Amino acid sequence: MDNKTPDNPDKFPALGRALLWVEKPGGVEKIVYALYVVCAALFAADFLYHKHSYLAIEDFPGFYALYGFFMCAALVICAKVMRVFLSRSEDYYAPKDVESEPFPEDQLDKVDYDA
Amino acid sequence: MLEALPTAFLFFLGALILPVLPRGPARAVLLLIVPVIAAFLVYTLPLGNLVQVEFFGFTLDLMRVDKLSRIFALIFCIAAFLGNLYAWHVKDLVQQMAALLYAGAAIGAVFAGDLITLFFYWEGTAISSVFLIWARRTEGAFHTGMRYLVIQIGSGVILLAGVILNYADTGSIAFEHMELGTPATWLIFLAFGIKCAFPLLHNWLQDSYPAATVTGTVILSAFTTKLAVYSLARGFAGTEILIYIGAIMTLFPIFYAVIENDLRRVLAYSLNNQLGFMVVGIGIGTELALNGTAAHAFAHILYKALLFMSVGAVLFRTGTAKGSELGGLYKTMPLTMIFCVVGAASISAFPLFSGFVTKSLILSAAAKEHYYIIWGILLFASAGVFHHSGIKIPYFAFFAHDSGLRPKEAPWHMLWAMGLASFLCIAVGVYPAPLYALLPFEVSYDAYTTTHVITQLQLLFFSALAFTVLMRTGIYPPELKSVNLDFDWTYRRLLPTLLGWIAKPVRAIFQGLDTFKTRTMKGMILHLYNAFGPRGRTSQFWPTGAMVLWIAILLGVTLLVNYAS
Repeated sequence: MDNKTPDNPDKFPALGRALLWVEKPGGVEKIVYALYVVCAALFAADFLYHKHSYLAIEDFPGFYALYGFFMCAALVICAKVMRVFLSRSEDYYAPKDVESEPFPEDQLDKVDYDA
Repeated sequence: MLEALPTAFLFFLGALILPVLPRGPARAVLLLIVPVIAAFLVYTLPLGNLVQVEFFGFTLDLMRVDKLSRIFALIFCIAAFLGNLYAWHVKDLVQQMAALLYAGAAIGAVFAGDLITLFFYWEGTAISSVFLIWARRTEGAFHTGMRYLVIQIGSGVILLAGVILNYADTGSIAFEHMELGTPATWLIFLAFGIKCAFPLLHNWLQDSYPAATVTGTVILSAFTTKLAVYSLARGFAGTEILIYIGAIMTLFPIFYAVIENDLRRVLAYSLNNQLGFMVVGIGIGTELALNGTAAHAFAHILYKALLFMSVGAVLFRTGTAKGSELGGLYKTMPLTMIFCVVGAASISAFPLFSGFVTKSLILSAAAKEHYYIIWGILLFASAGVFHHSGIKIPYFAFFAHDSGLRPKEAPWHMLWAMGLASFLCIAVGVYPAPLYALLPFEVSYDAYTTTHVITQLQLLFFSALAFTVLMRTGIYPPELKSVNLDFDWTYRRLLPTLLGWIAKPVRAIFQGLDTFKTRTMKGMILHLYNAFGPRGRTSQFWPTGAMVLWIAILLGVTLLVNYAS
């Protein structure tokens, strides 16, 4: 299915064409660096205003930032370990399960831009 | 005249008229008009018990309108409108009628002032909604629908048992605040818990929602679970055990959501997680917390429907909603992508989006009532939900690796439905005052404090940072074609296997008995045959003439007896 025909971006909707820059070399890097900058700025912001906190732990500088980062990393790593034990093939429960059977064509309206 | 009509009946009336109309736009228009009229009525109804009916010596309250029931009924009407607009192209009468009946039953249940009415509508939502799953018309969907129906009807039966016991205990069928303690209240609690997808009772949700049709899932996502949230808020507000149940509910689905491949199932897991927030709010039970629950349910229905719509549109155009098969769709479905991102930002509670002004009510209530560990769990769950719903859904559907699929943009009515839902999500986020005014209690809460905005942004952006780092280092688990075992393994695999083990000895005993019986019978028949059959001893010596002689003698005796008597 991959890249069956060379793309013709002129046929894409204008909005889609406008977004194509993310695929150009360096496009992703731009987004990633922007994210780094925003994160650094938000971390620094913690020192610049008076925090109204309910809990003592909230006053720890960058508490929310660190909590978000490390808990999310832990979440993904735990989930990855879980997958080792929990993952099964798509027809594990029954040979004809909603996982393994295709969606009925008559309920779809597949239209390709390049078709 | 319409004031005297329970709002639910409006939907049932619509469902009756529907088959009479010609196929096509006329039906679709009716599907849109009914929720609009209903929403207008709900909004303008006076508060109070408006409609009462006598039923076998009971007085049923069909329309108990107060601030709590009104906000739920209102959002149900909005959800029905958006869902039906999204389903404008559907020509399937079954789905159209199911959508109307389902919405009507849910609204009826919300307005039910007594437990008997609640029970009827409770079962109504179960029976009407299963057709949205069966309408996919595949074998897998049929079996999934069956499982869904068994569990939903089971919940209704447990509710009925609870209602009967409760009537025996208290002599009342009123649906008011209850205290856990008697078997009756526990049964009612359990029935609510099943529909609310409490941990270990939750799998019907992740099983059935991804199995429904493209449009069915959008409609399913709004009603059943939020009806359960409403019922818990009405019946069990301030029940402490709900805090812990809710906290677990926010926690474990996010792990599954990270590794799940079917994006509609990812959304079902995150739906479960969002319900957890509402359940915690109900458990805390203060005015702030209950306001938070009602507000969050309102916002949640909108953004969850929006997310299901966007993934549904992808499914509609490509035939799959699996993360492993998708990617790069932003090029040809940019509007759907933007609406998906709006939904993602709303569920993640970005400032200026709806989740931000509603979820924080619950978190604040938890902190104010000194549930610090719960608060920490909710904060983790907030970051987690951003991770799997906020980033994963848009990323794997619209970006990630290019799948080579170049589907056309979603049809106009889907775009309108998504656009309207997006508008509402942002409107609630930017200007929450009208929503706050609808809440059951007075609100004196400002979500947009500097602290709140900055801390929330920190939480979210650093979660995004974690995603980026894990993605770029290749640690992030790739999307794989697979199913993940969840608690439904117990009744889809373990129980059948156990039954198989029990069946084995039972079958052996039966087979043994059967063989024994057959053998004995065979032996007996053979024995008789040998004795009296054509080659038997008895037939060897008796000529046929003997029989004729004996008959002649018998007849002669009969004649003599007759003559003599």
